Amino acid sequence: MKTAQSEAIQRGKSTGTGEPGLGDLLLKYYIQALLVIAVVILSIINPNFRRPANYANILLQSSFAGIGAAGMTLLIIAGAFDLSVAGILGVSGITLAILSPASVAGAVIGTIMIGIALGLVNGFVVTRMKIPAFIATLGMMNVYLGVAFIATKGQVLGIGSGFLRGIGTDTLFGVVPIPFLTMIVVYVLCALFLGRTVYGRFIRAIGSSETASRTVGVPVNRIKTICFSIVGVCTAIAGILLAGELSSANAIMASGYELNAIAIVVVGGTSLKGGSGTLFGSFTGALFFAVINNALNIFGVGAYWQYVVSGLLLISAVGIEVIRSYVRGSD
Amino acid sequence: MEPGRKAAGGVETAARPAPLIVRFFQFFESLGVLTLLILVIIVASLIAGGFFTYTNITNTIIIASIAAVTGFGMTFAIATGGFDLSVGSVQALTAITAAALMQVTSMPLAILGALAVGICLGLINGVLVTRLRMPAFVATFGMMSVIRGVALLTTKGQSVMITGHREFAAINNGKLLDVPVPLLIVLVVFVLLYFLFRHTPFGRHVCAVGGNRRAAIASGINIDRTTLLVFSLVGLTAAISGVMLSAQLLIVDGTLGTGFELQTIAISVLGGTSLTGGSGNLAGTLIASLLLATISSALNILKVAAFYQYLYLGLLLVLALYLDTLRRDLIAKSILGRR
Repeated sequence: MKTAQSEAIQRGKSTGTGEPGLGDLLLKYYIQALLVIAVVILSIINPNFRRPANYANILLQSSFAGIGAAGMTLLIIAGAFDLSVAGILGVSGITLAILSPASVAGAVIGTIMIGIALGLVNGFVVTRMKIPAFIATLGMMNVYLGVAFIATKGQVLGIGSGFLRGIGTDTLFGVVPIPFLTMIVVYVLCALFLGRTVYGRFIRAIGSSETASRTVGVPVNRIKTICFSIVGVCTAIAGILLAGELSSANAIMASGYELNAIAIVVVGGTSLKGGSGTLFGSFTGALFFAVINNALNIFGVGAYWQYVVSGLLLISAVGIEVIRSYVRGSD
Repeated sequence: MEPGRKAAGGVETAARPAPLIVRFFQFFESLGVLTLLILVIIVASLIAGGFFTYTNITNTIIIASIAAVTGFGMTFAIATGGFDLSVGSVQALTAITAAALMQVTSMPLAILGALAVGICLGLINGVLVTRLRMPAFVATFGMMSVIRGVALLTTKGQSVMITGHREFAAINNGKLLDVPVPLLIVLVVFVLLYFLFRHTPFGRHVCAVGGNRRAAIASGINIDRTTLLVFSLVGLTAAISGVMLSAQLLIVDGTLGTGFELQTIAISVLGGTSLTGGSGNLAGTLIASLLLATISSALNILKVAAFYQYLYLGLLLVLALYLDTLRRDLIAKSILGRR
């Protein structure tokens, strides 16, 4: 809260007036504006990009990492992060594949329970065993991946259920995929949790100063554990949708997921130092990465060049924002 | 418990002469996970026959050395309050540079070329962070992708063999007075960087930038220059490990060093360097790299299946730090709580 106020004061100073002008709005919603501009330009210049099926594809691709990033946003605002999400996603997908022949509904509920449980384990290791989040979650990622490998013997497990394939691939009105709808619901719930509950204020408080929060009696350990289990739930949901879309699951179905999810959160404007950040930013960040990857595919950029171009685009997108705020600040 | 911990770190006790026993434990503290390393070595040599052979110990040391060199650079970066996710890609590209230059020029020039590439890549990271004021995560995450792409493009996804330079392999398997060359490299780098970190203004600036940015600015420290130098240093150390890795493998490709960034950050943190910045423990980084290498070599000797290695490595990592936390609490309570 305090940082938001002081930022607002600084912005007011930089323009010389107290009123937020168009420039300030652009600065605040820079990444959103950039996303809209990119989509409009790409739609104009490329007929393949503007096909409805392609829009649906972008929304679908954004939702897998995006859903995990929702929980990660809360956790990063609380001043921690979770590197074990790729492991949680692998375990979730495999749980779904193993349980689904017996009962699809049971499998979905069981998978979400597993997600909560693994998140609670992470929370326990970080808050009760007092191990730094980086090492704790890196270690737990190895544990989860090991469990996933052992359970599957390194094989790919098929998923036969038509319902599960449906929630991974079906669309509403032919444009809005079910995973994207799920992502909207997840983000709305997380935003309400962060903005409208006392827990949300505690999360920001812990991220700003853990020591101060502890002193004034904020249940730091409980809140952090809750955040870890929210990450677990979100990742399990992403795992269900991804396994549904692929009609299969294996241990390494999400390698690199942790850095992608954190990158989405950071591009969305949330600081890794904790204390501030928005879910709307992360939501846009997820779409932003999906648009970049989609455009590179549409333009037939080779796989190796995609590494180079997507990295440069990420750097320039965030770099321009920083230059803009720098220029405005020195006016 | 919190004030006790601080005292164990030497903050409170520095004011008055500490009893000998406290100073002994402070020395032990500064070595971080040494106790665990000794414990793991004892257990491994008891249950894994063939652990204490010359070949195995040499191999373990070589593996640890390659990670430790970059871990030192990473410790500097973490001390400034940032980190560098691009080290794995830098390692791959510099290994490829060394291999490619070896085909057209002499070995020393090829090595120098690789190190220069590493410094340049580190400088780019530093410019992005200092001039463009980007968060270190985004800048180095983007560069990780860019450099990985360049590494794959220059090799067209193929492997590059290092041929015709038999003396190059000596960087990996050579010995000077029975000491493996990688260990010598890591010790030289350690001594130089330790001196830089603990006994020069630059080292103090590094900790000041990570510890209290405002205070650092107020006291006239050039934050941008310090950050820039630190990122170049990380690039250089990643390049050294790239050269060491190419000497070990003698065949390199663009996929080398995947996951190296998390591994090097992990050994820094395991060694006692806090991700919040402001301090660094280079000796701890060295010991932590030996700890991880020892664990994985013990698992290999015990012929633990690859799938189970993930599980055990993860559990040992968590257990190791848990024991470390318990030990600190115990020391804080038994020695310093009795005032």
